[in-house]
Order: sequence, then structure tokens, then C-alpha cells
Amino acid sequence: MARRSILSDDDDVKIDLSSMIDCIFILLIFFIVATVFVEEKGLQASKPDAAVTATEDESETVILQITADNRVLVQDEEVGIGEVAGRVQTSLVDETTPVVIRAHQSSDHGVFVGVWDAARRGGAEILSFSTVN
Amino acid sequence: MARRSILSESDADVQLDLSPMIDAIFILLIFFIVTTVFVEEPGVEILRPDATIAQDLEKNSILIAISADNKVIYGGKELGVAGVGARVKQMLMQDDLPVIIQADSLSDHGVFSDVWSEMKSAGATKISISTRRD
Repeated sequence: MARRSILSDDDDVKIDLSSMIDCIFILLIFFIVATVFVEEKGLQASKPDAAVTATEDESETVILQITADNRVLVQDEEVGIGEVAGRVQTSLVDETTPVVIRAHQSSDHGVFVGVWDAARRGGAEILSFSTVN
Repeated sequence: MARRSILSESDADVQLDLSPMIDAIFILLIFFIVTTVFVEEPGVEILRPDATIAQDLEKNSILIAISADNKVIYGGKELGVAGVGARVKQMLMQDDLPVIIQADSLSDHGVFSDVWSEMKSAGATKISISTRRD
């Protein structure tokens, strides 16, 4: 029987890769199926605690109201949704003037977001909301 | 010169070199592993409100939806306003995730506000309102 060196039979070693490919395929298919491409856009909002709102100077605060039938009032005066940004801008004393949105609980969420957006565009930095019954 | 049949020649010794395919599959696999986030989507059709100043929100978040008929939905199941707090608290215990409220334009502000308060008292620090993506 011929003796063979351990080194000599090197080039003929073939690893059977097909089972590994099977495994990787299964993993790949799992991740393809499980992937959901969630792309959310939105507004970062903050609602101050009751204690904070109490210390605010009421006279300087810009109050935006949304009534139950979705009308918008800026400082007790009815305006269209398109004018809110301009009205907020003129009402602000400086950028630290607090702006409060007081929305009726049965008003539409879409109107609320529209007003929020408009107030931000009008330069309101300190923006909060409260809900009235 | 010996003639060889076309059939006999190829059969036995053909070996496909699979390594480039493995490389490609590995790259795909790594891409999918990296991009996958396991987010439970509410699974309801929501007509999101419009906003011009919206920014991109974090992908890995807790998504809670409010449908047009004021149902609060998480992961395909109706939670109810009262159930939001417990669920959010439970999720936040594992990981401090941001919370996104996907409220329909026609849902009531009162429901949104209640859900908001529930989340706040459950300890959520980052709450966002979902708006339409363009």
C-alpha cells in the first residue's frame, strides 16, 4: 500500500457548498419576507404639564381655538385655515411667546394638525395644545 | 482522432463554480438583515393629515393608529383608549422606543388627546403625530 503524504492530496479537497447555499437561501427568503419598509413622516409634538401652563402669562399667549364644527379662531377671531400662519406671525411678540391650541374634543384631527403646522410655519416655537369639552 | 459523442463528454465532470453566487446572496442577505426592523404595523387604512413642516421619523417605533371611526388600533387589533397605556408601558420596558400616533384626519381630536395622555402617563418621552408622506 502506497503511503501518501498528508500534504500531497491538498488540491483535490472540495467542500460541498450546496447545503450552505440552501441555508443562506432560507435565511434570505425569511428576511425578504419579514422586511417592511416603514417610512413615517410626522410632527414632533409636546404637551406641557398643567403646572407649566398655569405659570404662563395669559395676556401674551396666542390662543388658537378649534370649535366642534372645525372653525378656527385666532385670538377669538374667526379665520380660514390658510390665514392662520400669517395671523400667528403678526400676533407673536417674539419667538418665546407661547402659542396654545385649544381644540374641541369633537373637532377633526386633520384640522388640528393643519393648525399646528400653520402655527409652526408662523414662527411659534413654544407650541402646546389642550382639549376642551 | 476519436470521435466523441456530444452527450458523453459533458455529463460527468461538469462543476459549476458557485462561489460568486454565494457572494451575491451573502450581500443580499446582509442588506436585508441590516434593513429589517420588526415593527408591528396597525394594518388599517389611515388618511393622514397634511403638514408642510413634517420631518422623517424614526423607523423603529411603536405605531398606534386611530381610525376614522375613532377606534384605537395596535398591531391589527383594537385596543381601546384604556388599553394604550398598559401596552405602551409594556413595550417601553424592553426598549425606550419613540411612539408614533397615526390618526386619521377625520378622527376626533378628543380621542387623539386621550391616547396622547395615556402615552404620556405610561412614560413615553418621544411622541410624534404621523402626517402624509409625499
